[in-house]
Amino acid sequence: MAALTAMLVPMVAAQTSPPSAFGTPQDRQAAPPAFRPPPAAVAPSAAPLRARGPFGAVLSWVAQTQYKMQRRLATAVKGLKQGNALGAGLILAGLSFAYGIVHAAGPGHGKAIISSYVIANEETVRRGILISFLAAGFQGLTAVALVGVMLIVLNATGFQVNAWVKQLETVSYGLVFLVGFYLLVTALIRLWRRQARDEAAHSHAHHHHDHDHENCEACGHIVDARDIAGAVSWRKLLAVVVSVGIRPCSGAVLVLIFALTQGLFWAGVAATFAMAFGTAITVAVLATLALGSRELALKLGGGNTRWVDAVWTTCAIGGALLVMTLGLLMFTASLGPARPF
Amino acid sequence: MLGVATGAVAHPHVWATVRSEILIGPDNKITGVRHAWTFDEFYTAMAIQGLDADGDGIYSKEELDPLAKVNVESLKEFAYFTFVRVTGDDKFLPLDPPEDYSVDYDDPVITLHFTLPLKTPLDPAAKGVTIEVYDPSFFVAFGFAKERAVKIAGPADSCTAKLDVPDPESAEEAKALSEAFFSQLGPGSDFGSQFAQTVMVTCAPQ
Repeated sequence: MAALTAMLVPMVAAQTSPPSAFGTPQDRQAAPPAFRPPPAAVAPSAAPLRARGPFGAVLSWVAQTQYKMQRRLATAVKGLKQGNALGAGLILAGLSFAYGIVHAAGPGHGKAIISSYVIANEETVRRGILISFLAAGFQGLTAVALVGVMLIVLNATGFQVNAWVKQLETVSYGLVFLVGFYLLVTALIRLWRRQARDEAAHSHAHHHHDHDHENCEACGHIVDARDIAGAVSWRKLLAVVVSVGIRPCSGAVLVLIFALTQGLFWAGVAATFAMAFGTAITVAVLATLALGSRELALKLGGGNTRWVDAVWTTCAIGGALLVMTLGLLMFTASLGPARPF
Repeated sequence: MLGVATGAVAHPHVWATVRSEILIGPDNKITGVRHAWTFDEFYTAMAIQGLDADGDGIYSKEELDPLAKVNVESLKEFAYFTFVRVTGDDKFLPLDPPEDYSVDYDDPVITLHFTLPLKTPLDPAAKGVTIEVYDPSFFVAFGFAKERAVKIAGPADSCTAKLDVPDPESAEEAKALSEAFFSQLGPGSDFGSQFAQTVMVTCAPQ
């Protein structure tokens, strides 16, 4: 990430001319000093943001990097209008991708939800990655559709778009809560069914076969235990993808509107999907880590079936509860007052 | 309430450069703060999108006034992102609704101007006054301008306004704030306060 940024910096810097005795190109083209507006009218630039606290240095770096990247994104979009469109386009794509990775490192973007979902379910790493990419892609699509329809077709204002983003956030978090609730109910039903079946099997064994209890403990429990988490289903997978993806990322919406005002909506669309790709990678890494932790937890029992049972039950119910709680917390938060900016 | 309402986001989407005037009344009391917040190009594009009603490419005062009104009115729920207190005190002083607000567009950015009166004018002579501008949820990253960030407006020659920016390298600050930091990690977090830049107003006794 840092390497990528470092790589992009000289590319951007290389576009400005070397210093000259006649001033910067802007100076040379500008009106003589007497005709320029007074200095007070020049847009002020902020001092770099700095944070206090134990992680102050790291937080400062993240905040400053995001700021610089956003500034460079703006420059890259404008660069598309002037001359070297291919170069500016490549810079734009690279920056958006990097911005997506960094941006998704903050809270939101369904990282916690998708990670909890995959551990609650019988999902493989491959499917975890697939879900991350589908959700990020869907999120990009929502942003493009929202901005495209509202601003190009309906000629709405930016604030109306913002209001819609807020509504969709509420819908998204409500859906996330419902997905969590559904996961919990199905996990509990499976758990209850399995217990009923086990009891039936046990009484059967004792009465008719004088069955060795130890052996019965081991019979087919691992498969049964995974039942609690539930079999893979496209319907369930789509539910989580839609619940997370129906909320457009505010960052993408801002880039799209900016590109549109520059008369380059397509560049905004490209940037949005490059950004979604970056976001998907971050989310996929976290979902994979979550799955890895579950595998590790399963192995810690050293093949003990009771342990495996316990881990699967904990993951299925704990993961479902986590999805529900996250959904509920963010749903409640999204009902708060509209932001001024 | 504020924290819960905004807790889900902890990375900035909007950047605002702050310039503030500390308003001092004739009796040498601080009467309020006049802010000028200049936003980034992305937010500007969003904010003015669709407001050029007559399509002449110029964003007139009439076209931008509704924007200013929406902005300052919704600021109330967020405590105007302005936190004023007597230096050393924990309690924030109540503020009155914004006055004299306007937005101006100077391609490529807009600036929101408004005056935030203190409910009760305050004599800064005794302990000094601390003013912080930040968004607790860090959705908006407020940073004071590099130049002419704060000034004193009014007759008080004896007053000075000094900007105090967080220093990540300061071990003392890190120690003092580490506990506060960990209590902030919940959903009702006050994440943005770590980035708060502080204006200290001090006045010589009259």
